[in-house]
Amino acid sequence: MEKSFFIDTTICTGCRGCQVACKQWHDLPAESTKNLGTFQNPPDLSFVTYKLVRMKEEVIDNKLNWLFFPDQCRHCTDAPCLQVAENTKAIYRDADTGAIIYTIATKELDADAIIDSCPYNIPRKGEDGTISKCDMCNDRVHNGLKPACVTTCPTGTMNFGDRQEMLDMANKRLAEVKAKYPNAALLNPDDVNVIYLVAHDPKLYYEYSVASHSKVEKGISRKVALRKMMGPFASLMRA
Amino acid sequence: MDLNRREFLQVTSAAAAGVAVSTLGFDLMPVKAHAQMLKTKYAKETTTICCYCAVGCGAIVHTSQRGDGRVINIEGDPDHVINRGALCPKGSSLKQLVENENRLTRPMYRAPFSDKWQAVSWDWAFEKIAHKIKETRDATFEAKNAKGQVVNRTTAIASVGSAAMDNEECWVYQAMLRALGLVYVEHQARI
Amino acid sequence: MTNHWIDLKNSDCILIMGSNAAENHPISFKYVTEAMLNGAKLISVDPRFTKTSSKADIYAALRSGTDIAFLGGMIKYVLDKELYNKEYTAAYTNASFIVGKDFSFKDGIFSGYTKGEKGHPSTGSYDKSKWAFEVDEKGVPKMDKTLQDPKCVFQLLKQHYDRYTLETVSLITGTSTEDLLKVYEAYSTTGATGKAGTIMYAMGWTQHTVGTQIIRTMSILQLLLGNMGVAGGGVNALRGESNVQGSTDHALLWHILPGYLKGIKASQDTLTAYNTKWTPKSSDPLSINWWQNYPKYSVSLLKSFFGEKATKENDFGYSWLPKADDNGSYSWSDIFDAMYKDKIKGFLAWGQNPACSGANSSKTRKALEKLDWMVNVNLFDNETGSFWHGPGVDPSKVKTEVFMLPAAVSVEKEGSIINSGRWMQWRYQGPKPMGDSRPDGDIIFELFHTIKELYHKDASNGKANKKDKKNKAKGGVFPEPILNLKWDYETSGVYDAHKVAKQINGYFIKDVTIKDKGYKAGTLVPNFTMLQDDGSTSSGCWIYCGSYTEEGNMSARRDTQDAPNNIGLYPKFAWAWPLNRRIIYNRASVNPKGEPWNKDKWVVKFAGEQKDGKWTTNKWEGDVPDGGAFPLENPDGTKRDDGKNPFIMQKDGYGQIYGPGLADGPFPEHYEPLECPVEKNYLSGQLVNPTAIVYSTDEDSHATCDPRFPFVGTTYRVCEHWQTGLMTRPQAWLMELQPQMFVEMSEELAALRGIKNGERVKVSSVRAAVECTAIVTKRFKPFKVGGGVVHQVGVPWHFGWRWPESRAEESANLLTSSAGDPNTRIPETKAFMVNVTKL
Repeated sequence: MEKSFFIDTTICTGCRGCQVACKQWHDLPAESTKNLGTFQNPPDLSFVTYKLVRMKEEVIDNKLNWLFFPDQCRHCTDAPCLQVAENTKAIYRDADTGAIIYTIATKELDADAIIDSCPYNIPRKGEDGTISKCDMCNDRVHNGLKPACVTTCPTGTMNFGDRQEMLDMANKRLAEVKAKYPNAALLNPDDVNVIYLVAHDPKLYYEYSVASHSKVEKGISRKVALRKMMGPFASLMRA
Repeated sequence: MDLNRREFLQVTSAAAAGVAVSTLGFDLMPVKAHAQMLKTKYAKETTTICCYCAVGCGAIVHTSQRGDGRVINIEGDPDHVINRGALCPKGSSLKQLVENENRLTRPMYRAPFSDKWQAVSWDWAFEKIAHKIKETRDATFEAKNAKGQVVNRTTAIASVGSAAMDNEECWVYQAMLRALGLVYVEHQARI
Repeated sequence: MTNHWIDLKNSDCILIMGSNAAENHPISFKYVTEAMLNGAKLISVDPRFTKTSSKADIYAALRSGTDIAFLGGMIKYVLDKELYNKEYTAAYTNASFIVGKDFSFKDGIFSGYTKGEKGHPSTGSYDKSKWAFEVDEKGVPKMDKTLQDPKCVFQLLKQHYDRYTLETVSLITGTSTEDLLKVYEAYSTTGATGKAGTIMYAMGWTQHTVGTQIIRTMSILQLLLGNMGVAGGGVNALRGESNVQGSTDHALLWHILPGYLKGIKASQDTLTAYNTKWTPKSSDPLSINWWQNYPKYSVSLLKSFFGEKATKENDFGYSWLPKADDNGSYSWSDIFDAMYKDKIKGFLAWGQNPACSGANSSKTRKALEKLDWMVNVNLFDNETGSFWHGPGVDPSKVKTEVFMLPAAVSVEKEGSIINSGRWMQWRYQGPKPMGDSRPDGDIIFELFHTIKELYHKDASNGKANKKDKKNKAKGGVFPEPILNLKWDYETSGVYDAHKVAKQINGYFIKDVTIKDKGYKAGTLVPNFTMLQDDGSTSSGCWIYCGSYTEEGNMSARRDTQDAPNNIGLYPKFAWAWPLNRRIIYNRASVNPKGEPWNKDKWVVKFAGEQKDGKWTTNKWEGDVPDGGAFPLENPDGTKRDDGKNPFIMQKDGYGQIYGPGLADGPFPEHYEPLECPVEKNYLSGQLVNPTAIVYSTDEDSHATCDPRFPFVGTTYRVCEHWQTGLMTRPQAWLMELQPQMFVEMSEELAALRGIKNGERVKVSSVRAAVECTAIVTKRFKPFKVGGGVVHQVGVPWHFGWRWPESRAEESANLLTSSAGDPNTRIPETKAFMVNVTKL
């Protein structure tokens, strides 16, 4: 059955257990970082960092907020990256879980096109040209476990289950949170399998927290969409 | 919410148009997801309690039963009633505490005025340390204090440690220190 | 913790002050969040807006070191508005006790004060007998349950905190009066019967020259509001190390013996003298006075040390234990003070990194150079073991011999630890110890075995081992305790944690009959109510008696079924001291008739049978009740002669609002930190704690109101590192998240100093300077204090030169002072004065 995450940022403490649990399970190496004047580190997602808690300090209605946004692939229900790739050996959708999976064959893809196609700015290219991102811990999920980031979350920010169950949970929680935060919203719940609940304007958390129009203008709307429209002639176009 | 939804549609509409065209000529069926095996499948499973803060979270340790017999995974124990599987970043990185190339793996000795460590055997270290303790203790032992009261102690040896040890280790350690006559017995709780 | 982690979910109002639980005890937020989802309010009081603050309903900033003023204002608010729990306060606390006529308090000083001698660390001391209660002919304190007597604790409390007005408190703390009121209002709602408020504190409270009294102030509030003993209440110290509860229970501290028995003083020349001194006597029939059992625990401890060598005739080996001078102090800071003064030759740093963890680390590091030898046992090379090649140290000038022994990681061995909520939990061995590393227990066992052999050889041959010329023919000095210490904790020649765990629990040494039931010699004692003072039982730590019995290893239990009261006690999961009691002082969760104050979240309730309005049988349900006696009253409201007061560890059985046992006064009083930014204490003429501990070597300088060091500094931790960072800095995943030493400061301060976010700056105190990366943040704000502006900065204390290998990141404790609290001698690392400048 199609699986979804529900990420309730209103109760996230920014502990980053999820960020490390992801590296632990996937045996991903650490990046060499510096303190850049913030607790957020590494500064961005990378080929070896699939999960990143983004942090922002924002004064909203005269009250200071420290916003935490555990960023990761949204496993879109109709994923642009998958469509752009047109190569199910490289990018496929797991029929059981709905996970969008990148394989070693992503090396054969036009990485920039894939990256540009993502409305959430998620995939990252490695040195050898393969592309990586969150894989929903598909191996765990197929074996009855929850993704590592969900298991490790202390507060209930990270939730995982059947899509309908997660949608129900998200809507219920949204209704509760609205009383305190009238601007609370679920981010693109109908289109993604990673449903975020935010208390404030989503752009305050991160530029690409919701599907980004600006990204579309730079990327998908021109190059990729055109290429998609051209169908069989895509390769010619690229050359 | 509506606004966000609309924004998403703006993105996907372009791509959706693409799908309509491409489905004419391409097979978009994903490759069959083959049943994946967990890396922990054949590992020995033991439970532990996290060694960092004092919440006392349970974790499961997966140790390879083949090859070097080392740890391949440590994650939160979902059946533990306190943490229910949750771990903070320190707890989540427990594997890297154990399987760490920076760990000390041999007793080392630094001679007076030397600028380097040298590896030594445990037997040598125990003998040498035991002699040091005995020499210092015996040379500085106070049977009575300045007031003439019986004190049976040495104040020339001090110990700090350790909240990082198990209860049983703490107990035998303090028993040893007190038998040796130390009163300078302290640890982390004081700071 | 009087309560435990899961119990946080039962709270109606959670105050997090003196800790940053979301950052440093992240899993506690599982239960803080659960409480909040059920409607609880979260209050965060901290100098800096933290991860905890980010989740709070109310955040209030206060200047470091002004917690007593802040909380004293809350006591006044609660008393003025009559929001205290009247029934609880009158029945269960010493609010009604009459204080003797010698007690007085004038301009910041209590009666009985004498200034300390020059050069002595203690700046002053009190004759505590001046603070005693008035007692009747039987020695029972006189009481006025109406709380009206002008000499009763309640009236004195009112008088004492009358000075703590909102305006004065605000002048001191820098917290606005609006924010003070918000916190006071929200928290004092828990005074209502059936409501519970809890406090989560940590080193943000203990690391001050007034640390103990900060906690006392909160304890007073908890008693006034009826929050002790109830679900979702209590005074909860969030302990920072996985087994710091256990290492304290087992007395790796100079002033105690296992199970919080008192350390032995030179004047207590016999076991009888010692037991008499520490066994309190109460003639009040309503008081259980649990410590009257003291000799059972001390004798059982001696039996566990010396086994059959401990006999009645030799005082159970009492004289073999070392004794401290009556006025001596041998605490952490005293060790490094003595070491710096060349008085210590040998040093064991076991699972510790004092070169970074202790206050005033430069003094510590210089002290290490004076040692003849050091043994350093750890997982990783550290700043302590490698001090001889640290920054600025020339190895060719350092005489110290250093032995560095590799310890195994916790998952590579077996044994138990006990968490902050007193849950003792067993751990199992996963992999074998890496390389030649060995479990600490193994190392201790082998080392002492080797030492024993040396003394044994000397004793039996009458001559020394040939290598050991010094002791030749002496047989070793005073070998008895070494030779007689029971040391049979092995199986097939290897250290066996189970054998020690059983020794800690304790054995029957002889066949014993207790209450008509027979127990065989050699069997494990079921619980500490069976321990004896005649040598017929042993127990290495009486509070652990019951943890490993003939029924098995209780700490290894994994039953996930909750108790019938369904408040998260999980009584068959692991084991908690004492007696598997999960909430201490739980008898205060019921009214004098034994009925829970809160019917939904009850902890214990009396379920005995009754006849004609009188209880006829004794039965409690729920948690293991404190003491287990009948309630104080019958169902018809008549008093029972056999009822007992709930605070069973106190001599008189009452919660102590007035605490005549502390070094610095029976009521907490605000004093400024030893290094402070203000010249005046707005509450009295006494600027700093008149009994603070201040060291005076050339490495112990202090700078107060010194224009060179104009900003308040404090230390804290981050989620990704732990303590000195020794168990996190060698780990790439954690270093990725928090790679460098940093200093957090307000945008205003950064502007003042021309500092940009992310650039390296110098933070300096009168003791040292440390390079840090600046984090310029909205989360720090300047304080308005006494009409002026005070800036505060904060630094994490996780770094040190050894890791990362750049040697560029150093310890925050180079900046801090070892001046400390007179009760605990914990150094004041949470408030000191610094400067911040561009590099």
